[in-house]
Amino acid sequence: MTPAVQISKLDKHYPDVTALDGIALEIQPGDFYGLLGPNGAGKTTTINILAGLCNKTAGDVAIFGRDIDDDYRDCRRLVGLVPQEFNFDVFVRLRHMLVFQGGFFGLPRRTCEARADELLAEFDLTDKADTQLRNLSGGMKRRAIITRALMHRPKILILDEPTAGVDVDLRRLLWQYLRRLNAEGTTILLTTHYIEEAEALCDRIAIINEGCIVAVDTTRNLVARLTTEAVHITLTAPLTNGTLENFGELQVEATEGSNELTVTFNRRQMPYHSILERLIAAGVCIDNIRPAGNQLEQVFVNLTRQ
Amino acid sequence: MNSSDEHIYAPKLTCGNFVGFKTLVLRECHRFLRVWNQTLVPPLITTMLYILIFGYSLGSRISEVQNVSYMEFLVPGLVMMGVINGAYQNTSSSLYIARFHGNIQELLVSSMSSFEIVLGIILGGVARGICTGVIVSAAAVVMAGVEILHLPTALFFIVVVSFAFASFGFLSGLWAEDFDSLSLFQTYVLTPLTYLGGVFFSVGMLPVLWQKIAMANPILYFVNGLRYAFLGISDISLPVAVVTVLFSAIIPFVACCVLFHRGYHIKT
Repeated sequence: MTPAVQISKLDKHYPDVTALDGIALEIQPGDFYGLLGPNGAGKTTTINILAGLCNKTAGDVAIFGRDIDDDYRDCRRLVGLVPQEFNFDVFVRLRHMLVFQGGFFGLPRRTCEARADELLAEFDLTDKADTQLRNLSGGMKRRAIITRALMHRPKILILDEPTAGVDVDLRRLLWQYLRRLNAEGTTILLTTHYIEEAEALCDRIAIINEGCIVAVDTTRNLVARLTTEAVHITLTAPLTNGTLENFGELQVEATEGSNELTVTFNRRQMPYHSILERLIAAGVCIDNIRPAGNQLEQVFVNLTRQ
Repeated sequence: MNSSDEHIYAPKLTCGNFVGFKTLVLRECHRFLRVWNQTLVPPLITTMLYILIFGYSLGSRISEVQNVSYMEFLVPGLVMMGVINGAYQNTSSSLYIARFHGNIQELLVSSMSSFEIVLGIILGGVARGICTGVIVSAAAVVMAGVEILHLPTALFFIVVVSFAFASFGFLSGLWAEDFDSLSLFQTYVLTPLTYLGGVFFSVGMLPVLWQKIAMANPILYFVNGLRYAFLGISDISLPVAVVTVLFSAIIPFVACCVLFHRGYHIKT
């Protein structure tokens, strides 16, 4: 099957910095793909090259087998970009922006108007259709730039930090919409700072650091790479000095009189059931267990600090 | 459309994106028509004031120039001033603001070629130049009682000069780093050349040395070309004016296409 996105030996050099240093990526049709990395890692440069906003220095990039330079018209119609910043003319009315954007992709005006109305309804913006963009709230602007990227119904949707600065309700709504879009066949490439978001949405993840890809795998496999874990445990009764002494070789952070403790362990050497057996044997009654921090976050921190 | 492309709305384009190009020209026209009181009315007021002050008030004290009254002599230059400023301001502000807000990316991610984008934005400027030219000419005809002798020639000069200055405006909008630098070209180049370009005088009124210097100013050729179209008089022969205006339009347009295609100041 032709990959939705194929990047090989991609370089991007600026006069004083190397933004991308020979990266390679392959995204299959239908993937929900996450591109994770710290600030300045090269995430936005990568997606800007895919969308035609940045000239590459060297390397090959193909969208569904079409070269982004030789067959740029076809590549552009296959890609929809949701940028991180609000990049629209703030004096234009929302519906006009959508209709113009459809037109730029060669869609007839009637098709654009019908599609704009459909998207405005889907994103609950119908009553704001004739409002100038400057008068929309932050959440509405975020929805507006997503609708703009969807006007030509692209096969690949690229989102750069789509939920940065949005409230919980809107984040859930966007997640729900993106999942549905992906289930309907749209390939999605997402960059995000929220690792929880990548873990919740993406089935494959690439971690990029200082212009190099440091890991590419399924989300499940990346999490499985994690060997050192920590769990928070809530007890039904406060800890006594005697109980603390019974923990033996278990690495436990706890204070006498508290009913909270944190256990850090190597999963390969000490499986979960063994931890529980040792805690029960030490005489504690467990009320609740939860992971201490996000698992993918720990993988991310380990890989980007190497 | 093959089966794998079924859910794509955007058509596969094999010979240019005419719909996209047309949409862009309409958007550019929509942009200046939306604020008509800031784009089309000011040149009308300026022209009326010039006719009032230089034509009615001071003009009667100036003898005829090339056998026409000073008021009549003035009108083609005033029309050309309006056309030049309108076309220049439209593209320079449209492109600079699109870069400033980032909405130039709406075009860069679309399936339009660099050539289509450049031409679309410039034709928006041409449309404003033509609108300004028609409005100012109408006011001049009514107020000064001028008749246009060669309408097709007048239209040719208005359209091609609009194209030339829309291209210069495009270059300025591409080059400017901030709002102040956007006005530099207009302040230091366009305005002096326009005022010294024979709008208010015949080149024969100048000392010999200044006559030679004035001949290096392309705006002199545009004003005299339009003056020939309006009144049948000119300091410059018509073929020379036509060739000059065509070169003045083609050279900056090619520069716009090359720079935009390379991504100068628009792509990282």
